[in-house]
Amino acid sequence: MYKKEVQFLSNPIKWLIPTNKGMKRINLPPGVSNSYGVVSRREALRRAAAAGALISLSPLAGFGVSNAEAAEEALGKFPKHPQWKFVFVSHVTTNPFWVPLRYGAEDACALLGTSFQWTGSEKSLATEMVNAFNTAVSAKADGIAVALVDPSAFNDPVEKALAAGIPVVSYNADAKGNKRLCYIGQDLFLSGKALGQRIVEAVGEGEVAGFIATPGQLNIQPRMDGAREAIKESGKNIKLEEIATGPTVNEELSRIQAYYTGHPDIKGMFAVDAGSTEGVGKTMAANKLHEKGVHAGGFDLLPTTLDAISKGDLDFTIDQQPYLQGFYTIMVLFVYKISGGLSGLSDINTGLKFITKGNVDPYLSTQSRFEGSSSQEKVLTRSGPIS
Amino acid sequence: MSEEVLRTEHISKSFGRVAALRDASIQLAKGEVLGLLGDNGAGKSTLMKILTGFHKPDSGKLYFQSKEVELRSVSHARSLGIEPVYQDLALINELSVYRNMFLQREIMHGGILRILNDGAMREHARDHLDEMGVNVPSVDVEISKLSGGQRQAIAVARSVYANAKVLLLDEPTAAMGVRESAIILDLIRRLKEKGEVSIIIVAHNYAHIFDVCDRVSLLQNGEITFDRLTKETSVEELMNLVLHELRSARERISRS
Amino acid sequence: MPGDKVDSLLPRQEPVRRVERHSLARRVGLFLLHSREASIAIAALVLVVYFWSTAPAFLSIGNVANLAEYAATTAIIAAGEVMVIICAEVDLSAGMVYALAPFVMYFAHEAGVPFGLAILSALVVAAIVGTINGFVTVVLQIPSFITTLGTLFVINGFTLTISNGYPVQPKGTPLVSNIFGGNPISQISWAIGITLALQFVLNKTRWGLHTIATGGNLLGAAEVGIKVGVIKMGNFILCSVLGGLAGILDAFRISSIDPLAGGTDIMFMAIASSVIGGTLLTGGSGTVIGAFLGAAVLGILKNGFTLSGVSAFTFDMILGAAILVTMVINVRLSQLRAAGGNG
Repeated sequence: MYKKEVQFLSNPIKWLIPTNKGMKRINLPPGVSNSYGVVSRREALRRAAAAGALISLSPLAGFGVSNAEAAEEALGKFPKHPQWKFVFVSHVTTNPFWVPLRYGAEDACALLGTSFQWTGSEKSLATEMVNAFNTAVSAKADGIAVALVDPSAFNDPVEKALAAGIPVVSYNADAKGNKRLCYIGQDLFLSGKALGQRIVEAVGEGEVAGFIATPGQLNIQPRMDGAREAIKESGKNIKLEEIATGPTVNEELSRIQAYYTGHPDIKGMFAVDAGSTEGVGKTMAANKLHEKGVHAGGFDLLPTTLDAISKGDLDFTIDQQPYLQGFYTIMVLFVYKISGGLSGLSDINTGLKFITKGNVDPYLSTQSRFEGSSSQEKVLTRSGPIS
Repeated sequence: MSEEVLRTEHISKSFGRVAALRDASIQLAKGEVLGLLGDNGAGKSTLMKILTGFHKPDSGKLYFQSKEVELRSVSHARSLGIEPVYQDLALINELSVYRNMFLQREIMHGGILRILNDGAMREHARDHLDEMGVNVPSVDVEISKLSGGQRQAIAVARSVYANAKVLLLDEPTAAMGVRESAIILDLIRRLKEKGEVSIIIVAHNYAHIFDVCDRVSLLQNGEITFDRLTKETSVEELMNLVLHELRSARERISRS
Repeated sequence: MPGDKVDSLLPRQEPVRRVERHSLARRVGLFLLHSREASIAIAALVLVVYFWSTAPAFLSIGNVANLAEYAATTAIIAAGEVMVIICAEVDLSAGMVYALAPFVMYFAHEAGVPFGLAILSALVVAAIVGTINGFVTVVLQIPSFITTLGTLFVINGFTLTISNGYPVQPKGTPLVSNIFGGNPISQISWAIGITLALQFVLNKTRWGLHTIATGGNLLGAAEVGIKVGVIKMGNFILCSVLGGLAGILDAFRISSIDPLAGGTDIMFMAIASSVIGGTLLTGGSGTVIGAFLGAAVLGILKNGFTLSGVSAFTFDMILGAAILVTMVINVRLSQLRAAGGNG
């Protein structure tokens, strides 16, 4: 009769936070999203009762506590396997860019019967990321995916994880000389070159600004370097000035606006990360720069960025398909685990697609998990030839 | 007649156009307790500050142990043995009794490592307070846990221990109840018996003045207008002087 | 003379000279119970037991090492902050000096200076920052909150400028790296050593005593003749130097010197550790050992929750709630102690 009370007293936090007891393969009740793969109906009701409003509020609230007693699952044609838990270590955990990535990871987990934990640092603090990484190793995570934003900080930790038998892959950013097993993400330097080529085509000559959230960080610096390289190769007289905007979205906008105010004759404003791109779009709109012939472009598909493209404030944005970075990372780690290490590892280039006014419409008219603009699971259709 | 320890002759001090002191001449003998009376604005605190070396007088002379002296600073005055006991007592609430007793005069263990010698300080503090008859439950108690009277007594005891020759007490019994005041008055009486320390007390309470003071002086408008042995005067006489001053002030106001 | 019957309005209380020496065991017990640090130590123990029961890996060697490394540098900065806070001041710039010092060491070494001197020059630069903090606060009489807020930004900008915003890798022989934070034992030794040394200074030296006096009653301390300006200045310098040292230790720990490192986050954690550990923000009272335990508690919470699998978003909510709960327990225990200790 008092089982629930006893449960609560013995472990109050655990009672409040859902566990993965009693997993069964069923469809998710609509509107309920979580950072785990599968959830039983009873479990879903329990969560709703315990923390109702919070759960339905935002798909970003990833409540989660791992449970030592992992359920054994048999999904698809795969044999039964433990519910492996993978840990994602990110450098800006609360940045909106990650939303589609986490949906991708969630969907893959649901497909395969695994789970993931989302952790790291909020403000690109390498020490925090290393701490989170090492903690995952101590917790004997089944696999770790880390964004290698620092050229050297993760070398030792990754080696230690591998020595402990934990597979480590990198996603979104990669570092030379690190012993990670493979990389899932965009080829950053090449994407920067593509950006540079676009700049050359659009601007031709003059001063342009290149905004970067956190210089030196390996998930974005190579893009800036690639752009510089492409401009140099073109031989055109374009001066690219690199400006740091900061790791948080609020800062980024103010700095970009401030920069423009100090350089009203700029010919182009470009960015190499999601937040800065959004900021550039807003600044272009606020000062009606598109009409003045200023060019702009950047990376990633934040909703305001897409809006800016459709309105013409941004010429283009480059998609690195974060959904795939989450999805494939889980795939890679899962296959590695279930094959006992024989298979699974492969560098995966998640792509480099230019979104311009010409092809932005489908992105705007749909809200989907793939872009992160909606948490709903739905099937999207297309028609007509593929251009 | 015991020797003179402190004397001022015609001290004057102005701040801008305000003449705080016009002509203050007081004297203090060894082992004597002098009560300094006067209304607010009469110049009491200015006089005290000059005696402690905080201010320099505009004119007049100061004699310490019959030698003319010019007090360069508070530390100079302190080095001569003139110690003020401030209203806020200069006690640190978070520290214990013995640590407060020895503040700025701590006993250290010898050698290069300058470590506080708590044992010695405790013992000396205990002995000294015993000698002075100051009652505290233990020298390890935090000052904040003691009553107002006990704290005042410790502040005084501290100065006495530092071989002060002249103690300047600024309203020691203000804001204290009967019981608390008794503690400090007891201490003053004991010091008087010993005869080593001379004390000037600024006070308002006539009962206290007549309880412990040998002499009483009245400061009015920057001048000493009255200076008599307490046994040669009475509360009534002092009160009349003060009332007279009050009446003249009222007349001046009604006239203007 | 003691024992004399003096005419007094007060009834004589029990004799002052009473037996003050209890048995050793009782003294130790009383000390532990009465010490400020007891409550935070108990809280830390409770947390350890809780996390260990929900995730046995919590007490694995690897995790303890990880935990120790995290808490160590926070504890070192907290030790410095305690001294400043006791003086009734605060140093908000410590986190920025934490980021600056390793860069100074790096550039000095690049310029050809041998390691020992490079590290020393980094600490000297930290000391200069502390001197500036002290000068502006004491001489120019600007409240330290504002002063150190200003230096916070100045140092941050300076660090970004000299580094061009790029992180670098510290170069060091294995010996240098091992002494200065390259392994958990080194980190924890520095933290414990500095904590014990400063606690000793606080309890048993003139400097510590005068620091408490300055914070407890600034006017009174000045009246007694304590050089309060010197005390404050010295403690500011101490805090900055410790901040710089912590930065160097962490640089070797993760083999990376990042201009974005530290910043306001670690300063905040250090001050929080001090307060959680029992140092009053109003000054005059504090404990370095308490700050160490406070840093340990924060580290245990962060590490424990991550270990349990809590995800990044709920993390902050839970961390905040846990800090509040811990502090409520801490304060309650302190109140019980104060009530019991009186009389």
